[in-house]
Amino acid sequence: MYLWQTRFAEKYHKEDAAMSEKQKNYLLGTEQKQEWMRKGFFAPRGLGFLEPGIVSLDSAELSAFNVVKSFYQNYPEVFNMAYISEKTGLKVDDIKKRFSRMYHEHLIMFVKNSAVSTYGFGLYWWEVKLKEGTSPEFKKKLASWYQEKDEICTGYETEGEFDFFNGNHMRTLDNLLYGVMGPWRDLPEIEYVHICPTRRDLRDNNVNQFDAPGDGYRKFIWSKEQKDAFLKHQNKIDASDFAIIDAINNTPSIGDMFDFDVLAKLSGLDAAQMKKDIIEIIDHRRIVVPMIYLNFMKVGLTQQLFLVRLFQNVPCYRKAQIVDELQEIPEFNSVAEFTDAYYDIYLQAYTEISDLDALRKKLESYAEVEDIKMATAPRLFRRWVARLDDENGYWEECVFTDDINQDRASAQCVKCRFSGSEEVK
Amino acid sequence: MKIEHAREYVVENLKYALNPGSIAVVGASRHDMKVGFKVIEGLQKWGYQGKIYPVNPRSDKVQGLPAYPTVKDIPEEVDLAFIAVPAHIVKSVLEDCVAKKVKIVVIATSAFKEIGREQLQNELTQYCRDNKLPLIGPNLVGMGSPYLNFNCGFIPYLPIKGPVAMISQSGANLLAALGTSQKDHLGMSFFVGLGNKADVDFSEFIEYAGRDENTKCLSIYIEGLDSPDAFIESCRKVDKPIVTIKVGNSKIGEKAAFAHTASENAGTTKEFYDEVFEKAGAIRATTWQEFLDDSLALGLQPPLRGDKIVMITNGGGSGLLSCDHFERVGLPLHELAEIAPALKNRIRAYMPMFGSPLNPVDISGTASPIMYKGAFRQTMRDPNVDGILGSVCPSAVTDVPAVIDIVIELYDEYKHLGKPFVMECQGGQECQEAIMKLRDHGIPAYPTAEQAVNAMAALYKYGQLKKTTKK
Repeated sequence: MYLWQTRFAEKYHKEDAAMSEKQKNYLLGTEQKQEWMRKGFFAPRGLGFLEPGIVSLDSAELSAFNVVKSFYQNYPEVFNMAYISEKTGLKVDDIKKRFSRMYHEHLIMFVKNSAVSTYGFGLYWWEVKLKEGTSPEFKKKLASWYQEKDEICTGYETEGEFDFFNGNHMRTLDNLLYGVMGPWRDLPEIEYVHICPTRRDLRDNNVNQFDAPGDGYRKFIWSKEQKDAFLKHQNKIDASDFAIIDAINNTPSIGDMFDFDVLAKLSGLDAAQMKKDIIEIIDHRRIVVPMIYLNFMKVGLTQQLFLVRLFQNVPCYRKAQIVDELQEIPEFNSVAEFTDAYYDIYLQAYTEISDLDALRKKLESYAEVEDIKMATAPRLFRRWVARLDDENGYWEECVFTDDINQDRASAQCVKCRFSGSEEVK
Repeated sequence: MKIEHAREYVVENLKYALNPGSIAVVGASRHDMKVGFKVIEGLQKWGYQGKIYPVNPRSDKVQGLPAYPTVKDIPEEVDLAFIAVPAHIVKSVLEDCVAKKVKIVVIATSAFKEIGREQLQNELTQYCRDNKLPLIGPNLVGMGSPYLNFNCGFIPYLPIKGPVAMISQSGANLLAALGTSQKDHLGMSFFVGLGNKADVDFSEFIEYAGRDENTKCLSIYIEGLDSPDAFIESCRKVDKPIVTIKVGNSKIGEKAAFAHTASENAGTTKEFYDEVFEKAGAIRATTWQEFLDDSLALGLQPPLRGDKIVMITNGGGSGLLSCDHFERVGLPLHELAEIAPALKNRIRAYMPMFGSPLNPVDISGTASPIMYKGAFRQTMRDPNVDGILGSVCPSAVTDVPAVIDIVIELYDEYKHLGKPFVMECQGGQECQEAIMKLRDHGIPAYPTAEQAVNAMAALYKYGQLKKTTKK
């Protein structure tokens, strides 16, 4: 058992003193969880369990992230300038100036990804294929609907072998089916929808996530060749700008990412406490990953999406091995493993600065691969609930929704509200 | 935080909270379910005429208005900053407000002392005090005035114009009062939520209301007093009736009041607050309904100078409910013969032989508008009578609208005599309409006998208080 797990278990037990002494919490990674596995034969997961501890997004323990998210637009010094300066060789004033320019040109955004499985959500991606001959107007209308639908926390409009690839966090699959897909799924223009529940989130937008193998967690992954190609391809982010993003996203500990004294000065909160809390949440418990997101749309890039189907007799350990091998290819800027889905693996690479043929050949080199679907994504609606649609005046408008206690299958269900003035249904 | 006395610079600047020429909405949002959206929407919807400056570092336009990254970036003067951002942003916003020389700030944000962040709340409060920047809140819903078409906060109602200044620590109960104002015609001069009242205290709003010409009665919902001495001192300065309701007295309520608005009641008792309100010359209501009913009566009517109250009714049952309740509240009715023997005889002319000229005076279920008119007129004119309680209990022969028109006519004719006139209308829809019409004409009217009696008792208490505590 790790030290933090012991501390958390002790704290939790104290809070639950009124409960029976025999009450166990089966926290992940603890001996209690092993006890559960001997009795239950399946891993505890979800809201009914509290491991590794529910931390709401506005809780005091996430103060450091929230302070940075609130202030970085005007105060880039919320990031650890001394550290960035040391890593980049740039002067602090230059770093601030460059950072501000990148933000105000909407090239970058500070975001966070939540480990949905530990929050009790499911993370469902879903691929939408329109029928051949569907009018561009219909696709445009559907894209607008997806853009406005707050439950769709991330979503791509694509061109190629499928037309959209969107993502939701939902606690109840019914709510995805009724609340999000119900309004359009049976329209005659829709050929099919494939729902892809996520089993592992290994990498998103070049930043390794909770389920990255080994010591890869929170590493910012770029190959030298691709970085050079990126800098050559566009003129909005130069090598120094890139180095700033790289330094922030690659800090060994979250404690190195921020200047906690600046956070304390701006917020009035205690610097040491904020640092201690955020290290616990992010370094130790891996509940949230904060990062600088690179807005590929503003630098003239598109994403190439790969949906990989394995033969259905491939055992799950082998699937995991294949995914682990694929995530070693730095050109794949996003990597996820699905479960109980038509597809098994999701990969993503920048179209203009990747050798797509080589990537496809690599995938085809696995005998276990049955099929690969590819599409190009010029447009991303949101990045983890933060809107990216500059053109509509909603840059960085964040709307977090939750379907807890909701039954979207019921006609009487009180639904989440949406960004528009009325529900689109 | 405690204050010794109401501070003049605060009282003077409260006009910027209730009648600002310009407002910075910090946390202005593009999303229609967020507080920062509702504030601007409400200001525009209800007809605010001043300038609105949205502050949002992520967008240069919010709801069609130019937006600014910080308060400091606003090019014009700012009277009021309404702050609707998470708690961790507030310190920085206050520093910007001081730099910008904003006149007053209102903090809607929660998550301060009420969740254990007392030190942070105190530090921010002290910072504002050091810079003479009055701070209302935090943890509140907003404020406004129907006289100025001003509704600033996340408030779905603007009350109707009237005499009551509603000062409330609770946002929910303030909203309830505002809804009641619209629905039941409880007119208000202004309203404000105080929330945690970290800086601006009850006493300062009391003195402001004392100077406000539209305010005739102050109604104060209290979860805890940080500065009881200042409260007493300010109440005694104000020559207007003050109605209070103090909650959080029960064992669990004490904890709930702290969790709600960080109100500290440990060690205080009901008797402690009884003494505070007695010294302050404030009337203490026990229930929410009584609080609203008393406020209405005291806002509309003069104090009751003596206990010679005459009740005129066409319903014997209503009369009985009333006289029993008068006795319960310590204000027993006197028989008419005792109050004014001649009136007893004169009033007989306006009732059938089976009517009763005791007190309550029962002019019977067959009473016509003419009978009501005669009985009311005689009673109002009689110099031995201090106050009149009228009651209408509709039978099939009662012309309720005609009776109400007569009451209004007589009230207008004789209000210069300074006698309180309270009405009770118990019955169906016609009575509800009658109550609204009476209230719109300045007559407190109620649907039950007990409510009307409580209102009359409050007017009596205020009459007694004026003789003792009020200057």
